[in-house]
Amino acid sequence: MTALQDSRSGSPGPTATTKRHRGPEVRRKTTGTRLKYGLTVAVFLIPSALPLLFFTIIPMFSAFWISLNQWNLVGPMKWVGLGNYGKLIGDPGTQGAFLHTIYYIVGYLPLVYIGGLAIALALNSRIRGRSMMRGLYFLPVVTSWIVVALVWRWLLNPSTGIVNWLLGLIGVTGPGWWTDPAWSMPSIIVASAWKDLGFVMVILLAGLQAIPEDLYEAATVDGAGRWRRLFSITLPMLSPSTFFVIVLSLINGFQVFDQVYAMTGGGPNNSSQVVVQQIYDLTFRYGRAGEASALSWLLFLFILVITLIQVRGQKKWVHYA
Amino acid sequence: MNKKPLASLGLALTAILAMSGCGSAASSNVSSTEKVTIKYSNFISNGGNEKNLDTIVQAFEKANPNITVQVTTLPYKDYTTALQTDLAAGTQADTFDIEYANLRSYVANGAVAPLEGVDGSKYKQSLLQSYQSDGKQYALPSSFSDVILYYNKALFDAAKVAYPTASWTWADETAAAKKITDSAAGVYGDFQNVSFYEFYKALAQTGGKFLNDDGKSVAFNSPQGIKAAEWLAGKSGTTMPTPAQGAGTPDFDTKLFKDGKLGMLHSGIWVASSFADSPKSWDIAVEPGDTQKASAEFSNAIGVSANSKNKAAAQKWAEYMTSSDVMAQTRISAGWELPATSDDSVLKPYLAKDKPANRKAIFDALDNVALPPVIGDNQQKMVDIINNALGEVEAKRSSAADALKGAADQINALLK
Amino acid sequence: MRKQRPSITLNILVLVGALMMVFPFLWAFVTSISPGAGLSATPQLIPENPSLSAYAELLQRLPFAQIVLNSLILAILTTVFQLITSSLAAYVFSRMPFKGRNAVFAVYLATMMIPMQVLVVPLFVEMKSLGLIDTYLGVLLPGIASAFGVFLLRQAMNSVPQDLDQAATLDGAGHFRIFGLIVLPLVRPALATLTVFAFLNSWNSFLWPLIILRTPAMKTLPVALAGLQGQYTTQWDIVMAGSVVSVLPMLALYIFTQKYIIQGVAGTGLK
Repeated sequence: MTALQDSRSGSPGPTATTKRHRGPEVRRKTTGTRLKYGLTVAVFLIPSALPLLFFTIIPMFSAFWISLNQWNLVGPMKWVGLGNYGKLIGDPGTQGAFLHTIYYIVGYLPLVYIGGLAIALALNSRIRGRSMMRGLYFLPVVTSWIVVALVWRWLLNPSTGIVNWLLGLIGVTGPGWWTDPAWSMPSIIVASAWKDLGFVMVILLAGLQAIPEDLYEAATVDGAGRWRRLFSITLPMLSPSTFFVIVLSLINGFQVFDQVYAMTGGGPNNSSQVVVQQIYDLTFRYGRAGEASALSWLLFLFILVITLIQVRGQKKWVHYA
Repeated sequence: MNKKPLASLGLALTAILAMSGCGSAASSNVSSTEKVTIKYSNFISNGGNEKNLDTIVQAFEKANPNITVQVTTLPYKDYTTALQTDLAAGTQADTFDIEYANLRSYVANGAVAPLEGVDGSKYKQSLLQSYQSDGKQYALPSSFSDVILYYNKALFDAAKVAYPTASWTWADETAAAKKITDSAAGVYGDFQNVSFYEFYKALAQTGGKFLNDDGKSVAFNSPQGIKAAEWLAGKSGTTMPTPAQGAGTPDFDTKLFKDGKLGMLHSGIWVASSFADSPKSWDIAVEPGDTQKASAEFSNAIGVSANSKNKAAAQKWAEYMTSSDVMAQTRISAGWELPATSDDSVLKPYLAKDKPANRKAIFDALDNVALPPVIGDNQQKMVDIINNALGEVEAKRSSAADALKGAADQINALLK
Repeated sequence: MRKQRPSITLNILVLVGALMMVFPFLWAFVTSISPGAGLSATPQLIPENPSLSAYAELLQRLPFAQIVLNSLILAILTTVFQLITSSLAAYVFSRMPFKGRNAVFAVYLATMMIPMQVLVVPLFVEMKSLGLIDTYLGVLLPGIASAFGVFLLRQAMNSVPQDLDQAATLDGAGHFRIFGLIVLPLVRPALATLTVFAFLNSWNSFLWPLIILRTPAMKTLPVALAGLQGQYTTQWDIVMAGSVVSVLPMLALYIFTQKYIIQGVAGTGLK
C-alpha cells in the first residue's frame, strides 16, 4: 500500500521543530505530542468516517451475509454458503454482463476524457460568452436520463435518425444502433459520453484554475508553441485532476445502469445487459437477493483491484505540487 | 459513539437474521371502541386517481369512525421495489395492492394473511377465485380490465373494409390490416405488442398451452406456439411499425391511433378514456381469435399483511375498497378501472356512456379469458425470457422455432 | 498567451457543440408547452399550440411549493455536511501522515465501489432498527459523508504547494488554522465543484427517498414527478414540465458557482 503515499514528502509534522527532520526524528516524539496529533487526526476524520461506517460499510457486510444465503426478500433465508458465487461464476448471463460492462468502459472513458478536456481547454480560453457556454455544456449533466435517452434513441434511429443520415451523406450505410445487438453498447457509449462531457469539463476546469499563469509566460518566452505548452505544462499540471477523473469514471463506469435502463433496457436480446442491471433484476424482479448480493461483491472486488492498480501506477504519471 | 465496529456489524447481521425469521406475526382483534390506524400502500390510484381514492377513504372512515386509513401511493413501476424492501424488513403496510402474477409467491412465503368471512357474493366469481389458493381467499380483487381491439372507422371506410365483428379471425384481421396499411402516408393497419402478455393469449387463441398441466415444464414449444409467435412478429414491418419506426417508445401506439394513422390497436380498456374525440370515429370489438377466442384479463387486488397488528380492521378496509357501493360508484363516475363487482346494475351507467358504442365487447371478452401462466418466484424471469425470444423473431435474427426452443430450455430449467 | 482571443473557428465550434448540448433540454421544454403532446418518434421543435397549461396542472396536482422546499432543504443540508466532512478528511489524507493512512484512504474509496441497488435492503433494515423510516433524518444521514468529496478535495489539496503551510507552521500555526486559513481558501474551485455535485446528487436522488419516505407531504421532487406517470398512460407534457422545473435550480446553482470559482482564484494571488 505504500504506493498510495504521496510522492512529495514535506507534509508538516505536528510541531514546527520536527518539520525539517522527518524519519527517525518522528519516532522520538513524546507520547503527549503523538496523542495530540492522533486526536487531531481523529477529529478531522470522524465526521466522515462514522457515516461511511454506519451507512455504507455495515450495509456492505450485511449484503455479504445475504450473499451466503438464498433469499427472495419475502420468505426466510436459506444458507447456501458460497453456492451463489459458484453459480454466478459459471453463469453465461453474468459473464455477458461483465463483458458488456467492460466494453462500455473501454469505449466510454477515452471519449469522455478527450472530449471533456477539449471543452475545458476551449472554455478556459477567453472565448466569447464563456460563462454562458460553460452553463450550456453542463446542461446535459443535469438533464434526466429519461429525456436524454429518448433524444438519443431518435438521433441514432437506424431509418430516420440524423446520425445515419449524416453517414449517408458521406456514402456510409449506418448501422442499426440500438435495434442491433452488435451496436447497442456503442449506442449507449456515445450517449453516455455526450451526457458526461460536462462533468469531466467541470473537474478539469477547476484543475486548470490552479495552474500558475507565470509557467505559461516563462514557456512562451522560451519559444514553446501551443502544443508544446499543452504537453509540457497543462497536462502534467492537470494530472491530479486527470487521475481523479479516470479513477472515478472507472468506479462509476462499472456501475453503469441508468442509461442502459432508459435506452435499451438491456436489450436487444440481453446484448446490453450490464452488471448493475443484473443486480437490480435479481434483487427486485427475480426474487434472488442472495445472488444479487454475491454479484455485488464480485463487482466490488473487481473494481477494488482495478482501482488499486491505478493507485499504484499513479506515481509514474501524476505530479503533485 | 463508542460502539465497536464489530459489535455494530453484529447488530446489523442480527437484524437481518431476525427479519429473515419472519416470525413475529402477532395479531389481535380490535375491540369495537379502540381507535386504530391502518396503512394502505397502493399504486392503483397513482397518476390521476389519488383524489378518487381519497373520496373512498373518507367514506370508509365516516362509516368506521374507529379506523383511520393512512394511504401511501407509489408509481406502478417502483411499487414492487418498495414493497419488496418493506417485506424484507417487515415494515409493509397492513393492506397493500397485489397483482395476480405475484400472489402465488406471497402466499408461498406467508406474506399475506388468509381472509375469513368475506362476503364472496359481492364479487365477480372468476376474479375472486383467481386470488384463492388451497380453498382460502388471500386477496380481494379491486378492479379488472381486459384487452380489446380498437379500430378507426374512417380508415376502414377509406380502405373499403367491413368493420371488425366478434366473429373475426386472425385471417380477417390480417387481410384488413394489409388493405389499410399505406406506408407512403405513414398509415399502419395494425398494432399489437410483440411481448409475453400478447403471446400467452395468442397461444390460447390458436389452441396451444403455455405450461403442461402439471406445471413442471413448458408446452409453448409447439406448432401452436410457433404459429402464435409468427402471428405477432410477422406484423412488424408489414402492417405494423418496427421498433426503429417507433414501436416500443412510450405511448407510441396510442398516439398513432389518436393521430388517425392506425387502423387497429390491440390494447387495454384503460386507454379508451384518452381517445375521446380523436380519432373522430372509432369503436371496439372483441379481439379476433384463430381456432378459438381468448382475451386477456387483468386485475388488481388488495391483500392483508400477515404481520399486521390490526388484521380485522385491515380486512374491513380491504373489503370496503373492493366491494362497497361508494367504491364502485366512484370508479364508474371517474372512469377509473372497473370494479370487480357481481352487481351488473352498478355497471349500467358505464355501459350507457356513448363512446365507444360497442362497450358490450368489454364484457363479452370476459366469456373467454386466458390467464397468464404463473410460476412463482421466477415469474419476471420467465416474462423476460419470452420477451427476448419474441424480440429476436421480430427482428428476424432467429426463426420462431429456434427462439421458442431456446426459451423453453431456459424456462424448463427455472421450473426444476 | 491565454490573453489572446481564440480564433473564429474555435468560437464557432464551441457554439455548434453548445447547440448539441442544449437540444434535448430544448425539446423537453417544447414538449412541456405542447398540451396533449405524445412522445413522437421524431421530436418537434415548434410547438403546435403553445400553452403553459402543463405547468398549471403540475401546480395543481402536486403540493409543489412543499415538494420543492423538501428537496431544496435536503439538498442544501447534504451539500453543507459533505463540504465539512469531506474537506476535513481530505486535509488528513493530504497533510497529516500516519501509519495505515493509505489503508484508511483505500477503505474510503471502497465505499464508492458497491452499487446502491444492493445496499438499499440492508440499509433500510438498519434504518428500521434506528427508527428512522419515514423521517428526513433517514433520507439525509447516508448522504452526509461522501468518498467522492474526500477524493476530489484530496486531489485539489495535493496540488496546493506545501511551502505556504510550512511557512505557517514555522509561525506556530496548528492544523486547524492551516486548514481553515491556508488550505481551504486555496482549494475554492474544488469546493465549488463539490458544491455542485453534492447538490446535484441529492437533488436527483430517487431510489432511497422513494423507499424510505412514506408521508405524501414529505416527498421529494424526483419521487413526486415519477408519480405523474401512470401505470398505462402518461401525460408527457406534464412530465416534461416537471423535468424542466427540476433542471433550472441546478443550472442556476452551477452558473453561480462558476463565477465564484473565477473570483476565488483571482483572490488567492496564485495567478
